[in-house]
Amino acid sequence: MTSSPPVDRPLLQRRVLNNGLVVIVLENPVADIVSARLLVKAGTGHEARSQAGLFSLMSSLLTKGTRHLSSLEIAEQVESIGASLGSDASADYSLVSLKTVSADFAPMLALAAEIIRYPSFAEAELSLEQRLTLQGIRSMQEQPFTVAYNALRAAMYGKHPYGLPGIGTEETVTQLTRDDLVEAHQAYFRPDHCVMVIAGRITTEVAIALADQNFGDWAGPAHPLPPLDYPAVPTAATHTTIAQETNQSVVIVGYQTPSVKDAAYAPLKLISTYLGSGLSSRLFVELREKRGLAYDVSAFYPTRLGLSQFVGHMGTAPDNQTIALEGLRSEIERLGKVGLTAAELQASKNKLLGQYALGKQTNAQLGQLLGWYEVLGLGVEFDAVFQDMIRAVSEDMIQTVAQQYLKDPFTVVLGPHL
Amino acid sequence: MTFTPFTFPATVTPLETGLTVVHHHMPATPVVVADVWVDAGAALEPVEWMGMAHFLEHMVFKGTQRLRPGMFDYAIETQGGFSNAATSHDYAHFYMALAAEALPTALPDLAELVLQAAIPDAEFGRERQVVLEEIRQAQDDPDWIAFQALSEQVFPDHAYGRPVLGTEEVLLQRSPAEMRRFHQTHYQPANMTVVVTGGIALEPTLDLVRQTFRSFPAPVASPARQTGQIQPWWGVRRQVLRVPRLEQARLLMAWVGPGVDDLNAACGMDILATLLAEGRSARLVRELREERQWVLDIGGSFSLQRDCSLFMLQAWLEPDRVDAVEALICDRLSTLALQPVSPAELERAQRLLINDFAFSTETPGQLAGLYGYYDVVASAADSYSYPTRIQAHTPTSITTLAKSFLSPNAYASTILLPTAER
Repeated sequence: MTSSPPVDRPLLQRRVLNNGLVVIVLENPVADIVSARLLVKAGTGHEARSQAGLFSLMSSLLTKGTRHLSSLEIAEQVESIGASLGSDASADYSLVSLKTVSADFAPMLALAAEIIRYPSFAEAELSLEQRLTLQGIRSMQEQPFTVAYNALRAAMYGKHPYGLPGIGTEETVTQLTRDDLVEAHQAYFRPDHCVMVIAGRITTEVAIALADQNFGDWAGPAHPLPPLDYPAVPTAATHTTIAQETNQSVVIVGYQTPSVKDAAYAPLKLISTYLGSGLSSRLFVELREKRGLAYDVSAFYPTRLGLSQFVGHMGTAPDNQTIALEGLRSEIERLGKVGLTAAELQASKNKLLGQYALGKQTNAQLGQLLGWYEVLGLGVEFDAVFQDMIRAVSEDMIQTVAQQYLKDPFTVVLGPHL
Repeated sequence: MTFTPFTFPATVTPLETGLTVVHHHMPATPVVVADVWVDAGAALEPVEWMGMAHFLEHMVFKGTQRLRPGMFDYAIETQGGFSNAATSHDYAHFYMALAAEALPTALPDLAELVLQAAIPDAEFGRERQVVLEEIRQAQDDPDWIAFQALSEQVFPDHAYGRPVLGTEEVLLQRSPAEMRRFHQTHYQPANMTVVVTGGIALEPTLDLVRQTFRSFPAPVASPARQTGQIQPWWGVRRQVLRVPRLEQARLLMAWVGPGVDDLNAACGMDILATLLAEGRSARLVRELREERQWVLDIGGSFSLQRDCSLFMLQAWLEPDRVDAVEALICDRLSTLALQPVSPAELERAQRLLINDFAFSTETPGQLAGLYGYYDVVASAADSYSYPTRIQAHTPTSITTLAKSFLSPNAYASTILLPTAER
């Protein structure tokens, strides 16, 4: 958007505290809000298979008690000033985030430091969260797409930790103990392994001083973390059918595709945009607008440190499930034969870059993106690098990548007539 | 606590045609959102046209005499923007977000789609298949099933009880000509609000809207709307549905609340929903989820619609806990109507809601949605009176509202249980 009027972009500062904690500050006074987040360079992808669900359980327990505060006291402190405080675990990182009006920021950051550094993992709270997690795992069975997608993930990833849902399984969650949580917390929640992002109506000096005050004396273990070693994934594609008495069939195809650090990343992001993003995307136009086969039809290619997947999916009337599967495959795999025209490629670049810009409108959105790039080891500069990589993708690169990766998919069909 | 009143940062301009323009200049953003709100929701449908408003929203994107199907989407998205639409009982709205400098070329097309929808015969049958897929997908979602069943129970004689999506049976009987009539009847300037927020000033916005929103369809009459009546009731309306593939029971309890003619009371209902079920220190969450551990989760919602509002509590729980949870909630509501809440508890709910308001008015898209929604159900300026109205409540006013609207003796409940074991 070269012709955009000049606007005040948030001022970005990156500092490293003495203990190795990276602090990123985005000064943006437009709204009377400060958001902060701490990202930890470890997520569900770091779990041993027998401990699936460990990081998810840990993140839900962080806000449920510390050395000084009970679960209810934490909730009351947050809710009495109308702040929000959340925690989450993703494939490649864990997250604690908070949002307050500017005046309340300092006490909320102090509370966040308390829960990040000194969680108690009290047995009573552990057993409650464990029970709720088990119910949550059962509830996944109610959503046909989730059932089908979990089957796809299991088939594509085998013993790789991405193969299981982040929430874990009934078997593994039942087995998790307080010792497991304490051990994982000690191993991974360490300052040289974390990134803090503070964004909003706050000066860099104040933000850095607050970060230092609350996290500066946080000492991590002396030894480095062992390198992350993923198990091999299945190489032979499979077709899975799941019989369920649903009104609609769910059809999913998945192709094994490389990580964010691979040269194929930018071309695959563009292919994902071309095929699956928005009302003008190829899958939407061909399968929904021209053939009326689906309401929901889309594709996604998540940004992952480890092996990623390119997924196309749709929901369709049970009678159409066979042509839906053929349609998804032929549209995706067609790119290996015909590639994209120059006009299609340029249109996809404009679409991707424009939507990328729209996705970082708030302090919290921009802070999340930059912090995520930091914990992935890409650095905040990846925000610009990524856009340059997209602009540099050629028609040849699209076709080469499509030929290499978009073939022999894993497939799942869930529906009543199987 | 200190409280700074929020002032309405937008302008409302009625145009000569009867169209309303709401505009909010946000100089710090390069983005613009244009959001067209039409008083043409499902509540205006005759019963035999159920689903028409929503189906029409789909067909609007099928183009005009000049714009072929898909041309608009392609143009917007290849400029880095996006567009979409939504329909409820009270409105349909059509919006796009894009770079500010692209608005002058994009807004004429959005206006043409909305005002001059061609509803081509050839596209009608195909798009109906898409809507039927949308219905099938909804029918596989237990939470949709539960809410739909509850709505029918609360509004047996009003359009709010009918599904916005319609039904397969009714949709299969409709024709493109009927849809064109519905469009020509309701897509008139007096029924329309164009909201523009973001990096564009007022004068160029008004010029642009005047130029682009002018060719309205020639008005015709449609079969009379069958909006119906909302009848208060005494006693408990309770229904139990058996649903396949259900892992958790659902308990939904609902009360009809004050409408837009009493926004102060409506805001008080938001406070009640918050202090009962928003956050871990809220009464029902704390007791039912954390202490007794009778529910997997519980939430409260208060939704303001034009003809009335709906206050709802929803719990996810084991089937054998349903009766006990329902009874306990009734008991706690009785208490709420008798004993004033403490100032600290009230203040917690007020701060949560006021900060939540601040957190959801950051981007042009959030603001456009807020202004448009309020303009349809009340008036755009009312949106920013929300924090002040929330702040004005007292323990006494909250007790009075609980007593008036949340009776444990007059409510509707819908319970979903798993189909019996085979």
